[in-house]
Amino acid sequence: MRKGTSISRRSFIKLAATAGAAAAIPGCEPAARQLIPYVVPDENVVPGVPSFFATTCSECPAGCGAVARIREGRVVKLEGNPADPIGQGSLCARGQAALQGLYNPDRLARPQVRGDDGAMRSISWEEAQKMLGDRLLAASKAGKDRVAFLGSPQGPTFRKIALEVLGAYSSSRAIFYEAISQEAARAAAKTIFGRRDIPSYRIDQAEVLISFGADFLETWQSPVELARQYSLFRTPQKRRGTLAIGRAIYVGPRLSMTASKCDDWIATAPGAEAEIAWSVLNVMVKQRWVSQNSGFDLAALAKAVANFDPAATSARTGVPVETITRLGEAFGRAQSGLAIAGTDDSSAHLAAMIINAVTGNFGKTVMFLEGSPAEETSTPDEVNAVIEAMRGGKIDALFINGGNPVFAMPASARVAEAIGKVPFVVWAGGVPDETAAMAKLLLPAHHPLESWRDTAPRAGIRGLGQPVMQPVFDSKPVGDILLGAAAGSPSAKLPWASAAEAVKTEWLALAPKAVGADPEDFWVSVRREGGLFEEQHLSATSLDLSAFKAPVPAAAQPELSVYAYPHIFLYDGRGADKPWLQELPEPVTQIVWDSWAEIHPETARKLGVAKDDIIEIKTEHGAIEAPVLVESTVRPGVIAVPLGQGHRAYGRYAKDVGANAWAMLAAGATSAAATARATGGTRRLVTPLGKSDMMGRSIVEAMSIEQLARGVVPESGAEEVSGPYEMYPPWKYPKHKWGMTIDVNACIGCSACVTACYAENNVPTVGKDGVDRGRIMSWIRIERYFPPPKEVAQAPQLYLAPMLCQQCDHAPCEPVCPVFASYHSEEGLNGQVYNRCVGTRYCENNCPYKVRRFNWFEPEWPTPLNLQLNPDVTVRGVGVMEKCTFCVQRIQFAELNARTEDRELRDGEIVTACQQACPTRAITFGDSNDPGSAMMRRREDNKLRNYRALEELNTQPAITYLRDLYREKGGA
Amino acid sequence: MNRIVLALALSMLALGGAVIALSQRPWAPRADVVQPIPFSHRVHAGVNKIPCQHCHAYASRSSEPGIPAVARCVGCHGEKIGGGGIQPVTRAWTDDTPAAFEIQWNRVYALPDFVRFTHRPHIHAGLACQSCHGEVQTMDRVVPAFEINMGFCVDCHTEKKATLDCVGCHH
Repeated sequence: MRKGTSISRRSFIKLAATAGAAAAIPGCEPAARQLIPYVVPDENVVPGVPSFFATTCSECPAGCGAVARIREGRVVKLEGNPADPIGQGSLCARGQAALQGLYNPDRLARPQVRGDDGAMRSISWEEAQKMLGDRLLAASKAGKDRVAFLGSPQGPTFRKIALEVLGAYSSSRAIFYEAISQEAARAAAKTIFGRRDIPSYRIDQAEVLISFGADFLETWQSPVELARQYSLFRTPQKRRGTLAIGRAIYVGPRLSMTASKCDDWIATAPGAEAEIAWSVLNVMVKQRWVSQNSGFDLAALAKAVANFDPAATSARTGVPVETITRLGEAFGRAQSGLAIAGTDDSSAHLAAMIINAVTGNFGKTVMFLEGSPAEETSTPDEVNAVIEAMRGGKIDALFINGGNPVFAMPASARVAEAIGKVPFVVWAGGVPDETAAMAKLLLPAHHPLESWRDTAPRAGIRGLGQPVMQPVFDSKPVGDILLGAAAGSPSAKLPWASAAEAVKTEWLALAPKAVGADPEDFWVSVRREGGLFEEQHLSATSLDLSAFKAPVPAAAQPELSVYAYPHIFLYDGRGADKPWLQELPEPVTQIVWDSWAEIHPETARKLGVAKDDIIEIKTEHGAIEAPVLVESTVRPGVIAVPLGQGHRAYGRYAKDVGANAWAMLAAGATSAAATARATGGTRRLVTPLGKSDMMGRSIVEAMSIEQLARGVVPESGAEEVSGPYEMYPPWKYPKHKWGMTIDVNACIGCSACVTACYAENNVPTVGKDGVDRGRIMSWIRIERYFPPPKEVAQAPQLYLAPMLCQQCDHAPCEPVCPVFASYHSEEGLNGQVYNRCVGTRYCENNCPYKVRRFNWFEPEWPTPLNLQLNPDVTVRGVGVMEKCTFCVQRIQFAELNARTEDRELRDGEIVTACQQACPTRAITFGDSNDPGSAMMRRREDNKLRNYRALEELNTQPAITYLRDLYREKGGA
Repeated sequence: MNRIVLALALSMLALGGAVIALSQRPWAPRADVVQPIPFSHRVHAGVNKIPCQHCHAYASRSSEPGIPAVARCVGCHGEKIGGGGIQPVTRAWTDDTPAAFEIQWNRVYALPDFVRFTHRPHIHAGLACQSCHGEVQTMDRVVPAFEINMGFCVDCHTEKKATLDCVGCHH
């Protein structure tokens, strides 16, 4: 520095202080300056107090019940319906995110028609209904079956409406299909039991579970229900004198989240699962580990699977003989077991069903239930027939609602080509997708949350969905659109004028016919409960093996194959328009806002690619490009690509993100032989994850069930702490001290808690670039670690646990805040006062759990996503730190209720959002000062499994985790 | 060089101070608020002694006391009582669309978004509305009697031994 310009330290500080103080920011005006009351108040609405309506979730075929929390006439949160037997009060990530589908800013706002030049023009509903009615009438005049409806299943009543309307147009072509179909299971059930039904499962009644490619905790059939059953299956219980947990084995090409929660993952090529299943059956029949009176002719069965002895199967699949025999032994010798299959290969389903039936488990762990029938869906043949009819020019008018066939159907079906041959295509839906881009008339349809509807996901369960708020856009119920069009047809004799009327009529018919029973009472009770849930009875089922043919070993596995699986959050593609779902890291790979090609290090070497290199994957049906992720979570020779990304329309959050794996597939197969080559390009795969290795720290811990049975606590790798070290006098908690117990064994990583927290606490999303810069805002996250190679035998396959603010007693974040925004509350919470925060970020720096999140930019919620914001929680602006508050707004609400009612708080009255959403009840919130609270009892009952995260740092967290449980390798 | 920088910094300080002094803080009392209808609390609550919660009906049940719905006014006024400035509530209800009949009142008390004040426990604790809103029953046009800033709340909470926990109101 030159002498003349040198500045002394003292002067510098003087200058900096005055200059800093000069940067004054004028006060900001709050926006709302007016108060507008109701003109005529609704007697059920008290502004400031939520009301609750029961409805059903529509985000996947499982059909869980949901309860909508309404504030001032708009739904702000979806929760599970405790009365519903499927969800039992939980709601998964996809269900929670349904709100972002309702409030999506890219939803079609008004009817539009596509001109001959391709330009879209907005029209009125009158015009649209007239156009629809005229074109449908013209099509029906040209002949029978020239009008078709193609869409996703929307309940028995809607099916009736569609069939009635089509009937008015001399057509019966109503197709209700799911892209991720259960056809293979139904076909297998028809073959053995003579009925095309999906059975119900009781995993919790089994001792051994084998999943042949069924991701039952993620996307298979009824994940919330099965997850809960699975958590009971894996809860330690006394069995024949020792503490034991159920044994689970996953057979499949990829270590999915489901596979990682099993004891073993047997890596097979896609399609080889059936082979393993038949071989297991072979072992069990040969060793007579089967029931003698299951109704099977064991000799004939042995002959049928003679080709599948372990040696032959091992040669064909590469799975060791020892593994197959031990699998057969584990299942065959267990008191009860369950085999499930998830692939599109009906041979695997057949094998699984026979395995269950021949070991006498039918009726125990798997069964058909009696009652009002489950909703019918169309068979693949029916779907193909309509597509071929379209291709052949036999359809003049096509009405599409749901399913997005142009995107979510396998490439081999060439659906776009077929739809292109239909002269008049009508699309009704929310956010215009790829199929809408091919339609002439686009009609905004009510979101399921705005509609009267019903569901029948399985026998004996009928869910009722009612509108939870006024429509957000100028949309109409699809049923009304159809009925409105058909009303103009001269031959129509429609039983109802609207979908609402249809639902009410159908449901009143279900009312009990007892003398004096008022059907209106029934109507009130089903709306309150969210449906009609019958007592579940076993349906009498008998074997009918007339159609059963001996299975044939599959052809040789290709050297390289691609395996496409539904993304846990995006499912078949329907979730891609919801920013919460895009920003949730996929539990195993932890990748956000993209699709990826997961390949094994060996395969990567062979292809000469490394992480982030873009490869082109080509099958005989199509090709896509995706960046590579090199992990041992997939079998060598398999490229695993998630389904759901790769939209070219469908709104701002879905467009041009990732690649569409459907474009490579053939109908009825989720895998195909493939070739792959590096394209030379790269694209960074973005993840909020830090390291995958815990580096010896006790972040997530596990112990073996054998250790638990012996009462031995495993040695932690962390350094010894000689008791809590107190520098200050301890905090006093005269009334409550809030804490949590989190059972890591029950946590499956499904991220329902994360999504519920986003919804409850107005947590913003930051987009792909934001996540890449470490700015993801989730207050709770699922941590995922791989066990170090040396410890693989003494660890679960994957460590998965929720990480949230530990509300430490010795919080490192509290002493360092210069403005006292981070402080310790009188009930044990680490409070964050948003208006005091000046954004030094010292607290975030000091937090060892890295759970504090900083708003680097002003968060935005494009209208109408802002309608979802919870009015009970401050919306934070730029420059403010935030973190998990243990849902303090819910704590406050409950405490004020108790005070107003002059009583004590009851245990269980405060339920945090994460606790409420969790399908496996992994999280329990409660009062540490109350030893009788559910949370404390859970801690005490599992004392040996207690640990606290990073305990060696002496932060004294309020959250106690319960160790994950695994089974020692090489054990029985 | 030092002098110039110092002068610059001091003038920025002065400018910033002036900006703060001249800008309205969010919690500054708004004494100049005029309502679309010249509703007089003096006439209704003072002369006619209508209890506060007859119109502000949700105060004991909710965080919001609620501004009375138009139907509440029409309930008494209908087409009979009053005159002059209350034509919006005495005119015939011929139109079913609420927007045509909305009355947009202007806020006199507005707390910032980061304060989660709830009326219910305060009513339950027996506080009179006048404790914070002043002698409203003497006002023809409501003007704030106090500056409702955090000190105002904390003083009373300290005196009445209510909670001083930050997250009770800031969450």
